[in-house]
Amino acid sequence: MSKDMSLLELQQSFYRAVFEPESLDNDEFYTCIRPTVNLSGEKLVNVYKDSILGGLNEALSSIYPVCVKLVGEMFFNHMVADYLNRYPSGSPDLGDYGAEFSGYIADFEPAKELEYLADVATLEWSWHRAFNAPDSVGTDISSLADLASVTENDRGSIHFVTTPSAILVRSIFPIHQVWHVNQEDYVGDGIVNLDDGDVCLVVWRNATFGMRIDVLSEQEYAFLQAVIDGKSFSEIATLPCGSDLSDVLGRCMQTGLIAGFKLIN
Amino acid sequence: MAGFFVFLCGISMTDKRFSAASSIAGAGLGLRSSHYQHIFEMKPDVPWFELLSDNYMGEGGLPIARAEAIRELYPITLHGVGMSLGSADPLNVDYMARLRGLVDRLEPTYVSDHIAWVSIDGKYTHDLLPLPYTLEAQKNIINKISQAQDILGRTLLIENPSSYLMFNCSEMSEQEFVGGVLAQTGCQLLLDVNNLYVSAQNHDFSADEYLSVLPKDRVKEIHLAGYEDKGDYLFDTHGYTVHDPVWLLYQKALSLFGAVPTLIEWDTDVPDFEVLLGESKKAQRILDEVV
Repeated sequence: MSKDMSLLELQQSFYRAVFEPESLDNDEFYTCIRPTVNLSGEKLVNVYKDSILGGLNEALSSIYPVCVKLVGEMFFNHMVADYLNRYPSGSPDLGDYGAEFSGYIADFEPAKELEYLADVATLEWSWHRAFNAPDSVGTDISSLADLASVTENDRGSIHFVTTPSAILVRSIFPIHQVWHVNQEDYVGDGIVNLDDGDVCLVVWRNATFGMRIDVLSEQEYAFLQAVIDGKSFSEIATLPCGSDLSDVLGRCMQTGLIAGFKLIN
Repeated sequence: MAGFFVFLCGISMTDKRFSAASSIAGAGLGLRSSHYQHIFEMKPDVPWFELLSDNYMGEGGLPIARAEAIRELYPITLHGVGMSLGSADPLNVDYMARLRGLVDRLEPTYVSDHIAWVSIDGKYTHDLLPLPYTLEAQKNIINKISQAQDILGRTLLIENPSSYLMFNCSEMSEQEFVGGVLAQTGCQLLLDVNNLYVSAQNHDFSADEYLSVLPKDRVKEIHLAGYEDKGDYLFDTHGYTVHDPVWLLYQKALSLFGAVPTLIEWDTDVPDFEVLLGESKKAQRILDEVV
């Protein structure tokens, strides 16, 4: 190694040796490392490489346990290997890693036959994010109890707010059933009819930390999507889902999916 | 709307909160998620727990609620890997702000991280990587620790690394590197005796000599864990009971630094709580012998 290699260059070289082990540039870096009696510089770096890649693989396995079960551990590891190289972790929080996995699976040729796999990954990522979402809406959000004090003239300006954990998911496959039959505590025949048709879901956490996957009607899904998109009450009323708005709103308020509102004139 | 699957977990919060000024003493345990239920139900006699701060960086949910419930029952410390203090990258101020929020929320006795780097060019490995012991690397980590302490508004504890390789460009020994960092930042040392033993074996230096040059009043916490013998090197798996040579080195450390609060760490294949408790009781017996 050159004595002149800066800290930055050394760390960049180390990173490359881990994530691009085939790079010819690594040979020079390996000479920067003091070999031991039995281990060369490359083998010593590989101790770290195995630990890093193993840790990232384990993190993805823990976020996507149903995907692991569906494809088997060996195939999952194969799928993950290239993902680790293509999608570096950009956050010190390991819980932020894996957001692009669903899109990656959708383009992963060897998994093309499992058409529903990418959507199952979306569901698992949504579960993971909902599990760690904030507990309550911001302090600028009014409680639903204050709705009664909104004047008739202002009602159209109401912007409802969903509970912070609510994440909408839809798929042309019954992925909630696929998820369900692959849970550790599931008892049953495990049969899922993939032709059951498309499904609208909301993944969320209730006030007592209970994680939920609820099936929504098309109307409920469209209403909650409009709320998340920041549409006002009057705007939502003009949408197809507005035809039965009071019933839909009532159900979403009752479950806790709608957590508050603000007035934006 | 049809409800599907509901998972609930009750948390009891009955005991009075320890004050922010709580100090720690004796042999504590690293808190692991598989032991939450046992701890909440049995309220075991453990003097303090160490929480892995990076497991509680989410904005809400069950993990942070459980951390707060533990905090109601026991003094705690926060131990992390995310600061990447040795990286040539700038300190990640967003992460530090999130950590500050967690510190304010949980009021730990100590906050600690490592003499290591984790990320470069904004890309995180989530592993503790070795530094070259050069003046440049020392100056860099001194600056980062000082910034981190300013952001957190408190003194940090930094942990000596376990390492599997040394760089040819190193200009000083690890103990000289660590000593300079302590001297110039005012931070304290989290002495990981297992790490010291692993590094000393892997790099053929004297652990006793290393201990003898550390400033005696700066060792505020000790970590103990089990390594794995890989044949050509020792690997810091945190997946075993503490090995005999590490217990011996621990006794040596206590003879030099006094009855420093000590933690049993276990991260891989975490066993039943009673196994960890047995290890902490063993450490406590050794602590009790310190005059």
